Amino acid sequence: MKTLRKMLFAPRVRALIGKEFGQIRRDRRLVISLILPPVLQLTLFGFALSASVSNLRLGVVDESSTPESRELVATLTESRSFRLGGYYASAERLGEAISQARLDAGVVIPYHYARDLQRGRSTTVQFLLNAMNANTATIGQAYAEGILQSYNRQLRAAGVQANVERIAAPAMSRRGQARLMPAFLYNPGLVDSWFIATGVFGLLLILNSSLISSAAMVKEREAGTIEQLLMSPASTAEIIIAKITPLFVLLSMMMLLAIAVLKVVFRVPFHGSLPFVLFGGVLCILSGISLGTVIATFSKSAQQAQLTAFFVNPPLSSLSGALNPVEAMPDWLQPVTLINPIHHFAAIARGGMLKGSGIATLWPNVLALLIFTLVLVSLSIWRFRKQLS
Amino acid sequence: MVLLLLLSLGLSLRVSNLPVVIQDFSDSPASRELVDAFRASISLHVVAWPVDRPPEEALRSNTARAVLIIPTHFGRDIARGVDTPVQLLVDASDANTAKLTAGYASQIARAYNQRTPGAQRSGPVQAMIRLWFNPGLSSKKFYGPGIFVLALSMFPPLLAALAMAREGEQKTILQVYVSSISAHEFLLGKILAFTAVALAECLVMLALLFTYFGLRVVGDPTPFIVATILYAFCVASFGTMVGAMIPNQVAAMQVVALGGFLLVFLLSGLIFPIENIPAGLRWISNFIWGRYYIEIVRDALLQGGGWPAVWLKVAIVALIGAIFYGIAWRGMRRMQLEV
Repeated sequence: MKTLRKMLFAPRVRALIGKEFGQIRRDRRLVISLILPPVLQLTLFGFALSASVSNLRLGVVDESSTPESRELVATLTESRSFRLGGYYASAERLGEAISQARLDAGVVIPYHYARDLQRGRSTTVQFLLNAMNANTATIGQAYAEGILQSYNRQLRAAGVQANVERIAAPAMSRRGQARLMPAFLYNPGLVDSWFIATGVFGLLLILNSSLISSAAMVKEREAGTIEQLLMSPASTAEIIIAKITPLFVLLSMMMLLAIAVLKVVFRVPFHGSLPFVLFGGVLCILSGISLGTVIATFSKSAQQAQLTAFFVNPPLSSLSGALNPVEAMPDWLQPVTLINPIHHFAAIARGGMLKGSGIATLWPNVLALLIFTLVLVSLSIWRFRKQLS
Repeated sequence: MVLLLLLSLGLSLRVSNLPVVIQDFSDSPASRELVDAFRASISLHVVAWPVDRPPEEALRSNTARAVLIIPTHFGRDIARGVDTPVQLLVDASDANTAKLTAGYASQIARAYNQRTPGAQRSGPVQAMIRLWFNPGLSSKKFYGPGIFVLALSMFPPLLAALAMAREGEQKTILQVYVSSISAHEFLLGKILAFTAVALAECLVMLALLFTYFGLRVVGDPTPFIVATILYAFCVASFGTMVGAMIPNQVAAMQVVALGGFLLVFLLSGLIFPIENIPAGLRWISNFIWGRYYIEIVRDALLQGGGWPAVWLKVAIVALIGAIFYGIAWRGMRRMQLEV
């Protein structure tokens, strides 16, 4: 530690760091890619990637056309979950409209609907859901059931009751019912963007760090100036430190900017400790820089480095649980996320921001991230040294 | 190809087998019956958690997505015929999963209530829910076509743009200019070659869709075939256009990555429904070529709407392809005049 500090303040290293800063300042593309992505990607992803299901277009076939059936249609469509997509004359028409994707759902109210209700019989309405998107369909199904349940409660309060059931079930033997009271912790308003934005934050830290560092590392090689550096009296350790420090400082600034965006644009609450999240972010940046360095040492030109990144980044981001829950992946794939630093950082960011948990509960993630960082940093230093010598 | 498989497997949103902690303070026959109902479900699985530890900790340490708390008086209340509340704490940091979890749990509770003797049936109006096109609610069937389109919009244009930019970078394009080849001939040669590449890739992907994803062509296959050829042309022209406009391989690659990957990935309804994009950004998706093709592919493989459902989308894909070609041609002509 002491030697590191001594090295950091040695005049030679300071001069090298100054040179790197100057180089980065003059590389306009690099500077832009430091500022633009956090703001643009966070807002774009955060707003565009929303899985929430609302305003499903509901087509109606009302064979009953009575006040009762119209009341049911009104109850269904007055919620924000469904909106009226039009009336259809027959179930076939409705089916056609659904298969041409003009509707997301349909409801068929039978001819004897009102009569059944008046006579106190229980009656059935048919719901058709376009289940192509399994997620939307599952949530839409729950909505439809929930709305009908509260509608039934209203009907019962109004005195309409299925008396067939009363005969079958005398009040004497009636058992109590379990009523489920869901409470949504940490995000009572069920805001979608909080999940996505915190996930993208992790993606941003690692992917951007790796992109920028690989670009900066490979540049020296492309320009052929690396030989000049080697001929200078600076040691390889000094060169590496001088290379990483300015990137690290700039990326940390990017991280603060991203946190500001999270806070101001998305109003993500901050229940935990800021230093804890920052610590996780710093580890992320370090492992991102090391990843970029490793990629850079394997490639001869900026183009090659970028192509490599093109193949490394998509699986890294999609198998991280940053944009979608890990449980949605097949069982055999779930363990793979454990070796992904983004996965651990997403857990830290979400825990620290939304849930207010600290190191006491998140230590496994911190430990994993720490191990990754150490492994990647040492791997990159080893590769870089090998390349230099 | 492996990459795409991984992508598609990692993409799904619909979760099953979610970990749930149950704290049963009642410990009565009735409460154990409720616990059994939760245990029996396939969408949730119960993980062990000591009763004396605060349940929030299970959520905070990510061991569970939800906690069900059965109060001490549960068994007594049920036996007396009084309705009794059961609390479900849901980790809502992921809003979508939270909604799914609450939905699953309430379905289980409803089933439990119906099983108890003498319980009221769910009420006068009952819903019969039919899930069309994908009755098993398998996510694979929804994402398979999307991944297919994403692959097609990513790699062929990338290759085309690189090839085109290389000509520009190495100035071999000057040889083309001085030869008697016209801009049309040159462009068509390039584009058709990469269209063939795209179609070849398409065949490999289709084999994957039919085997692993278990999809079949439903209904009339002609719109799908026509649209695929047009779309292959469209993405090849897109790549060529980018390559012609930007004679620099690195920059061209970035533009293709932005256009082919980011825009098609984000704004085409691939995973997240287009309706959820805020209105300020949603209009952009009208210009995204991938969006129309995704809808065509989904129609062909899942819905089977045939020509009446998709003719407009096929036409739009053709139009966008023609626009890309036109821009590429204009760019070529301008370069020819400059030289």
